This record gives sequence, C-alpha cells and structure tokens, in this order.
Amino acid sequence: MQDTLTLYGRSFTSRILLGTARYESPALLVDAIKAANPAMVTVALRKQIEGGAKAGESFWQILRTTNRELLPNTAGCNTVKEALNTALMARELFETDFIKLEVIGDEENLQPDPFGLVEAATELVKQGFRVLPYCTDDLVVCRRLLDAGCEVLMPWAAPIGTGQGPRNPRALRELRQRLPDVPLIEDAGLGLPSHACQVMEWGFDGVLINTAVSRAIDPVRMARAFADAVEAGRSAYLAGPMPVQELAVPSTPEIGKPFWDEAARFAVQETT
Amino acid sequence: MRHDIAIVGGGLLGRLLAWRASLSGLGVVLYEAKDRIGNGATAWVAGGMVTPQAEAVDAEPELVAMGRRSLSLWPEWLRALPAPVHYNADGTLLVWQRADAGEARRFEALLKARDPLASFQRLDAQQIAAQEPALSERFHEALYLPGEANVDNRQLLSALADALDETGVECHWNRHVDDAEQPDASIVIDCRGKSAKSRWKELRGVRGEIVRLHAPGVELRHMIRLLHPRSSVYLISRPNGNLVVGATTIESDDASPISVRGALELLSVAYSVLPELAEARIVEMNSDCRPALPDNRPAIRYSPAARRMEVNGLYRHGFLLSPAVVEEVLAVLPQLLKNPHHELGASPRWPSLGTREEALACH
Repeated sequence: MQDTLTLYGRSFTSRILLGTARYESPALLVDAIKAANPAMVTVALRKQIEGGAKAGESFWQILRTTNRELLPNTAGCNTVKEALNTALMARELFETDFIKLEVIGDEENLQPDPFGLVEAATELVKQGFRVLPYCTDDLVVCRRLLDAGCEVLMPWAAPIGTGQGPRNPRALRELRQRLPDVPLIEDAGLGLPSHACQVMEWGFDGVLINTAVSRAIDPVRMARAFADAVEAGRSAYLAGPMPVQELAVPSTPEIGKPFWDEAARFAVQETT
Repeated sequence: MRHDIAIVGGGLLGRLLAWRASLSGLGVVLYEAKDRIGNGATAWVAGGMVTPQAEAVDAEPELVAMGRRSLSLWPEWLRALPAPVHYNADGTLLVWQRADAGEARRFEALLKARDPLASFQRLDAQQIAAQEPALSERFHEALYLPGEANVDNRQLLSALADALDETGVECHWNRHVDDAEQPDASIVIDCRGKSAKSRWKELRGVRGEIVRLHAPGVELRHMIRLLHPRSSVYLISRPNGNLVVGATTIESDDASPISVRGALELLSVAYSVLPELAEARIVEMNSDCRPALPDNRPAIRYSPAARRMEVNGLYRHGFLLSPAVVEEVLAVLPQLLKNPHHELGASPRWPSLGTREEALACH
C-alpha cells in the first residue's frame, strides 16, 4: 500500500508543504516547486486583498500553472477578526475550504497567539473550513484546537524564518506520542534538510518549509535536498529505528571472546 | 514624415531610448500617456538606485553584470544632458541589526557567487564613524560597497524631456496610444511598462511603496541599505535635505495609496537606522507597480510581421538596468531598420535579454 499523507480525507503522496514568500522571482519559485514536489503550496493574501480581489491575481496565476493544491494562509493577521475575514476572502478567491490559520501574537518573533488561534479555529470550523492551525508545541493548546474541530496540527519548530530547527525536541516528540492519530505537520523554523529529516524520523506526518528554501543561495537545489530528507526521514520512521544503546555493541561478536560487556550494558539499560 | 522609430511609453526607459536613439541619428517620435515631467511613470516613485552589488542578493549574475555596465554609462550620459541631475556615486553601506547578522553572511556569500568583480569592505564601528558620521555609534559592523550610485529620478525624467526637445524628438505628451493604433514609423517600440499587459500577458505588477522625507539636519554620504530577512529598504539622500526611503516589494497589481503596514515598515527602518529622523517631515508617501516578467528579468521581443519591438520587465531595476538595455536596443536597431522582417536573435552580450518566450512561460 502506498504511504500517503491524509489531511481532512484528502490524500497526498508528498509530505512537503512549500511556502511561496521571498523568492527572487516567480520563475525561481516555480522551479523550486518542481524540485520539492510538494503536496500543497501555501499562499498569503493579507497584503493583496485591500487592493481589490484581483490585486494578487498575476502572481497566483503563476502558482496555478504548477498544478499544485494552493493552500491559502492568514499570514500577517494579528487578530481573530482579521484572520476570519482573510479566511473568508481566501475561500472565495481560491475556491477551497482549506485554510492555514495563523493568528500572530508577537510581532517580533511571529509567535502564534494560542487564545486567538483557538477562537478563530472554532469559528472557522463552524463555517465549514478545514483548518490547519499554525500553533506552538503546547499539548493543551493542541488539544483545544482538536476540540475546536481541527483535524491537523501545525506546531512550530522555532520562530518563523529563523532556521533554528527544533528548539524543543522533547515537547515535539511528546506531542507525537500523546496525539498518535492526529496528522502533525512541522511548520516554521526549520533551516536544514537534517531538521526536516529528524522530525520525520520522530513520526511527524509532514513539514512546511519556506525560508529555508527561498533564502538559500540555490533554492532549487535546496528544495530537492528537503524532498530527499523528508523521504529519508519518513522511510526511517516506517522502518522502525533501532533503540539507542548506551554502549557500543559490535554487530559481529568476536569469536573466542567472552561477552564480558553484556552485564555492563544491561545494567545501564535497567537504570535508564 | 515617417520616422525611423516610434516609441510608445515615455517613462524612464522610453525617454532614455528616445534620447539615445536620436543622438545616434535616428528620427524618433515619442508618445506618452502621462505628462512631461514624468508623474505617472513608475520611475517617478523610485529611489533611482544604481547598485549592482547591493542588488546581487535579489538578482541573477547577468543582471549584476548589466548593472555594472549601466553604472559605467550613467556618468557620461548624465553629463550630456542639458540640465544638471544629481548623481551620487559614493557607494552603499549595508547595515543590519545584531539579530540579523546572518543576513550579512548570506549577502557576502551571494555577492561572491554572483559578481566576479565583487569588491566590498567590512567596516568596524570606528570605520563606520569615519565614513558615515550620521551612523556613528549606531552600528558595530557594516559592509561598504564602493562606487555604487543613485540618480535623482525626478530630475532625470525632466532633464530627459528637455534633452528630447533639444535633439528634435517629436514628443506627444499626454497622448494615449491604444493597442490597435500603429504609429507611423519604420519600427514601433513599446516601452509602456505595466500598461503593456494587454499585449504581454506574462507581465505582472509588483507593488512598491516609498516615503519621502525632509530632514535638513541629517546628512548621509552613502546610500544605506538595512539588511533584514523580510525587507530590502534603502535610505537615499537627495539634495536640499531630502531623503527617500524605499521600497516595499509586494506581489500585487494594485497601485492604490501606500498601506499603513507599508508606511510603518519604511518608517521603522528609517527610524531604526537614524533615530534623529523622528523629527523629519514626511513630504510624500507614494506607491506604484513595477512591471515584471516571471523571472524578474528584462526582456526584448520583436515581431517582424508587426515591425514592433517590446522592451519590458525592468522590475525593481529600472535605473540599474535601463542604460544597458537601451544600449542593447540601439545595437540591434540598425539591422532591423535595414530589414524589418528579420527575426531578432539572441543578444550575444546579454543572452537572457533577447526573446525567450519559452523560458518565460511557466508550465
């Protein structure tokens, strides 16, 4: 059976979502999309909508030529009302119920506002949206978002655009453990393919990348690197990683040598 | 009288081309839908930067090279104009907030990769104080890009209008030419920028917003660019205490007035670089859309059947690229005038500049 990413009943073969901001040109972005082969590409509209429904059309038209699912987001929204209005506009412009919900709580590091997020998610689900909320790694906030009707969560690894990689690996892995059946897409803060590979190894269902690709010296090559890394990480997760050992274990025991180290190794395992 | 060339669109590119073509001995007629001083041209709302190195973070190597070519042409061309145009070639200073030091490293890496002639200097606090006293004690590090320049965009548009009169170009200001109209000339050259979208469907507008300040007490010797992960904003000193802060870059065809977000972004950059600008007077806030093709590079295409050339897509780089583009157009024109049914081949000098429909069509 093919391994697919399922979001709100929709199946995707790719586990990458690609952001479309800050590329040197739309043509380069199109090439990066081809290289990353993402399930969806996200698109912001907050800065465009005030200029009329068609203001961003030229750029969006180029995105449509890539034949990828467009996932509108509410980037740039600081209040619930703003996010709701943007989502409604997005549904009309892009003819999709999917919305990546961002409600920003801090202008400096663009950290999600968990309270506004839950409120906006509740309302949008009521209005028939399929909400993909950009959230922190807080378990309780995540639960509230699930209670609100979200079927996917997008916890951050680190603040948007920082490229720091997972700041709080334990929280992210616990989230994975505690919410085993919820699609988790790691969003924001990934800087390197190894970061993406790592979260995939932990069992995350996908990653969203933007700056790590768009601000690389060679975005197309970096897009490909992320695609490879995500695939590797996913395979590793499915393959079932070996348990970590505290001491070296030769894979071929040396003939004629007693297994003197075994006792020590088990002793260490028992205490951990 | 049938002219050699009719130029439709008298913004920066159209004017510059009309003037240089006329100087080269061609009979030129120019049509511009807006006025003589250039209010209405995208170049009117521009910073006038000729900064090939500073733009290397946003432009491919060939554009950087074209920018270098323009940088070498501007001084001579400006000297030949009938009216003085402010031109400052004291270079660009790149500064950044401490938290954005990564941007500076990225800039250096990109510049080295894209500009074989790259020459920049890392400045420490002391050198910054010596070189740009206004920034003294504001920044501990900076990158200095010598030789980069800026042109006073509005002075230039006016001076070019004067030059056109001087060289005998027949100018029709405030005269709209619609798509169906074929001006009487051997070759028509469409330089309408974003207004040419009806003919060139890949063209799109990229909104830019600027603020013009009056701050007679603040003296900047160089252009200042604040490196930041989300914006690329310059502070450009102009004569008589004026200062241009720009610009935003938004994927939008909308040229409505500046947004509050845009104004805040530009003003906070200005204020964070130079807090004394708090008392500067805001003279103007403005916005317009730059004409861009999907790869954000300029292009020339020619239809032998219509005897029509189109030059467009200068994007954020009107002042950076127009002399090099004009030079290229003038290089191919004699052959086309001799035989207008010729196809326009790829440019040997700037391979990306010639017709490249295939590359522009996004699949």
